[in-house]
Amino acid sequence: MVRFEGVSKKFILRHERSRSFQDAFVNIWNRRNRSREEFWALRDISFEVPEAGSLGIIGENGSGKSTALKLITRIMGPTKGKVQVQGKVAALLELGAGFHPDLTGRENIFLNGSILGMNGREMTNRFHDIVEFAELEAFIDTPIKHYSSGMYARLGFAVAFSVEPDILVMDEVLAVGDEAFQRKCLDKIREIKDSGKTIILVSHSLQMVKDLCAEAVWMNAGVMRARGPSVEVVDQYLDWANRKNKLRLEGAHAKEPEVSEEDNRRWGTREVEITRVEFLGGDEKPNTVFATGDTLVARLYYRARQRVEKPVFGVAIHRIDNVHINGPNTKTSDFDIEWVEGEGVVDYTIPILPLLEGTYRFSAAVYDYSCVHPYDHHDRMYTFTVQPKTMKERYGFVHIPCQWRLEPRVAAHAAISPLPDKLPVQF
Amino acid sequence: MDSFIQHLSELYRYRGLIKNLVARDLKARYKNSVLGFAWCLINPLMMMVVFTLVFGVLMRNNIPNFPVFLLIGLLPWNLTAGSVMGSMNSIIGNGHLIKKVYFPREILPISMVCSNLVNFLLACVVLAAMLLVFRVELSPLMLYFPVILLIHVIFLLGLALLFSSLNVFFRDTEVIMEVVVLAWFFMTPVFYNIEDLTSTFSRLMYILNPMASIISTYRLVLLYHSPPAAEFLLRTLATSVAVLLIGYWFFLRQAPAFGEEV
Repeated sequence: MVRFEGVSKKFILRHERSRSFQDAFVNIWNRRNRSREEFWALRDISFEVPEAGSLGIIGENGSGKSTALKLITRIMGPTKGKVQVQGKVAALLELGAGFHPDLTGRENIFLNGSILGMNGREMTNRFHDIVEFAELEAFIDTPIKHYSSGMYARLGFAVAFSVEPDILVMDEVLAVGDEAFQRKCLDKIREIKDSGKTIILVSHSLQMVKDLCAEAVWMNAGVMRARGPSVEVVDQYLDWANRKNKLRLEGAHAKEPEVSEEDNRRWGTREVEITRVEFLGGDEKPNTVFATGDTLVARLYYRARQRVEKPVFGVAIHRIDNVHINGPNTKTSDFDIEWVEGEGVVDYTIPILPLLEGTYRFSAAVYDYSCVHPYDHHDRMYTFTVQPKTMKERYGFVHIPCQWRLEPRVAAHAAISPLPDKLPVQF
Repeated sequence: MDSFIQHLSELYRYRGLIKNLVARDLKARYKNSVLGFAWCLINPLMMMVVFTLVFGVLMRNNIPNFPVFLLIGLLPWNLTAGSVMGSMNSIIGNGHLIKKVYFPREILPISMVCSNLVNFLLACVVLAAMLLVFRVELSPLMLYFPVILLIHVIFLLGLALLFSSLNVFFRDTEVIMEVVVLAWFFMTPVFYNIEDLTSTFSRLMYILNPMASIISTYRLVLLYHSPPAAEFLLRTLATSVAVLLIGYWFFLRQAPAFGEEV
């Protein structure tokens, strides 16, 4: 459990820090006219993350996110207010903080473990798992100054995870390591989360915040701007950030945009614009009513004002009550687009629509290759409906092709027939 | 008081870290040298030879068993100087850790004193050998040695806590201390006998410089086979405990700000 009650944190910015006796003496006389600049990194922040909860903290650089984490991990104390933390905290603020280059991987595991508050016996028990997770069996007795940066990061992760914290605090650390290891770490973080631990994550990867955290806090200039379900807070933040960006491009950088509820559903910098989205049936005719099993084509009309390298087009389908059903994009489907320029269309085809009867919201988006920077995002702006027609299945919302088989218990004396009377029926 | 006890129990929980930091320090110090740990033994021997040449041969004196006399002064002095100067940098030098991970900050100066203590104990092997070589008689009074060492270490912990935190806020503490430690060395009877000074001087030195009492008492029990004065034990113990309490109090008051200052 982590609770912030009216927490503020002030830093004093001294342009020339008095770090010597001489300055200190001089300052005794100069105290009155010495200019001390105060900087409030956090102002009156209150929130609570319950046990087994997960919180993402988002915001621009310098918004106070990292300061909040440092208060949680007790690296700093608050100027005002109260920070309450119950449970063992493990912080992935920097991997391998405290590794000594001259010592071997093995020695560093024990050293780093004890920095994180583990005793020798606990580390001995976990040693094997740590080495295995880090995939460093062959190099464990090599001084880590000979390690590559990837190996270094893997060892850092492995040790930090082994602490088995009640509260896992992470600050933008997943940006290291190769993709396979990143996935492994994400799996591990999910595993820790699923086992009922608390997760607090600071990240610029909004997707990761949405995926990992139930709730999110949006910080801006030390003040909490929004708090709530992570999906909503991330959308609010994105909308604000994009409008701010747009204002900046237009030269009106004096004013920051206000958060508004309306026109929340479209954002992006518009280097590539989605001008229209159209649904087509298998017969290439526009349509918005489909039946389960039909072919559905969503045609995204785009316009790129300039040549844009490696864009990623994506779509998403939500049920009317905002249950997220899917969200494929051209990158995850390994359909890489080299570049786009001018106008064109992108077709997203579902050959056999598995959705059952209902109304569905459709999103279309185009992002840069990292899938972080939106060019144009239309969030749940389009609607199509599915009617049952011949489909009798009606529980849940997808039809998953399946087989049924019946095998009555065969009496002991009866001959076993080589084939069942009725072959499995394919639906 | 409550928070003080809390600090101590937390410190106890992190005792493994002290052990590992000391091990890191010692391993890193000797890992890249050819002779490795042998240096712990060779180094005091060589220093003994140099000091004996300078203060025993070039400048004659009439102290019997001078090399042993010297060694008994030199090793505790090295422990003191190493702890004070080493701990000075223990907070600043580990800034990357302080800014990234929470642990009781006092662990850093404490482990610095501990690693100097380990070095001292290893060097005591040389001292024991020299006692045998110079045919100094063994006596049961030598059992006072650990008691004196305990008082010595309490004193050093206090100094280490004090100076390590002071140096965070006033970086010239270190520069000043370099000179102070040098002066302190000459004011401490390492290579001379305190009894050779005028009585006012030696009296003053005993009162102002706990190291003078400590080193003289080491010599008393190891070399001269007489028990330490009760007065020494009480006075120096009281001084050391006072220094430790003041140092720890000062350190705990400053520690929360380390994360911003290093």
